[in-house]
Amino acid sequence: MSVAIPVLETRRLVLRGPEPEDYPDFKATFSSYRARFMGGPLNAYEAWMLYAAEIGHWQIRGYGMWMIHDRDTGRTYGMAGGWKPAKWPQKELAWVIWPDAAGKGYALEAVHAARAHYYAQGWDGAVSYIDPKNLDSIRLAERLGAVRDVQAEPVDGNDVVYRHPAPDDLAGTQLSHGIEMEIGHYADPLFKPKGWALD
Amino acid sequence: MIPIPTITTERLVLRAPCAHDHAPFAAFYASEAAQFVGGPMRDFEVWRYMAEVIGHWQLRGFGRWMVERKDRPGAIGLVGLHAPLDWPEPEVGWMLWDGNGRGYAAEAGRAARSHAYGKLGMRTLISSIAPGNAASIRVAEGLGATLEPDPFEHPKFGTMSVYRHPAPEALA
Repeated sequence: MSVAIPVLETRRLVLRGPEPEDYPDFKATFSSYRARFMGGPLNAYEAWMLYAAEIGHWQIRGYGMWMIHDRDTGRTYGMAGGWKPAKWPQKELAWVIWPDAAGKGYALEAVHAARAHYYAQGWDGAVSYIDPKNLDSIRLAERLGAVRDVQAEPVDGNDVVYRHPAPDDLAGTQLSHGIEMEIGHYADPLFKPKGWALD
Repeated sequence: MIPIPTITTERLVLRAPCAHDHAPFAAFYASEAAQFVGGPMRDFEVWRYMAEVIGHWQLRGFGRWMVERKDRPGAIGLVGLHAPLDWPEPEVGWMLWDGNGRGYAAEAGRAARSHAYGKLGMRTLISSIAPGNAASIRVAEGLGATLEPDPFEHPKFGTMSVYRHPAPEALA
């Protein structure tokens, strides 16, 4: 019954199953203000239980959340992947980036890869349940081509539903190329500042 | 992923939890019977708790099993080794929602303890039990565990009595 968690590699990242040694990084974020849109901040016991549940989710559903690592250093930047605990109406693509790793396009790169992986495995679509106050996450959903779905059932009404483009609306489209181009810009910026601006 | 071993006793099978255990587990946690083990809990909380039980194996290398009777399919309880964050030390725990009063909890608990002392090389084990949980205290005492002077404060479950099990050499 033991599900082997696949490893995904992207331009700058490696996505691996959550391991015991990654727990301190998870706990730091989930016990902080950063977790306010994800049911937190959690106390130490709740954070540990949730981390264990992230792992157990893989075994129960056959899919789940990966730990996002830097390809070169192995450092963790956050988590991304598929999420559907009980009560979730549909399969979700979810993400969390540690606060000090935000703004570098890591979530975009990780979720783009996770979505491609699940679509290749036969998912016919996905949603993201987002706190409407979480503007950074809504912005990311939109950069990924997801649009607000007012018909879809939310988890508990404290969230809004963003629907991701279906596989056929993503593969080989301008949208997909745009996402890859944006990731490329993060990895290798076209315009690099040459020193400090003086004024 | 660490494979979760299967253990067989005279009347029981201890095996990895899986998706279809959610229904009986949730029914137990919706009932008064779960009052000593963190219940009642809502359905989705139980799902997450079950995911935690599985993840515990990966984080600690040991954990709890779903218990099934050999003569009848379907999980009747959750028994095994438990040491989440901030637990004072690893414990052997049991909860049973079907077939109570036949010694199943003790039979499964004994098998889990043997696994801890044998395969895992543990030298001691506790069981933390809510003070009013008379049935569970009887199981602990039946397994030879004795009440420790100091209870343990749990952030979620409150004050728990600590029963200490006999060391491996005392059981040999």
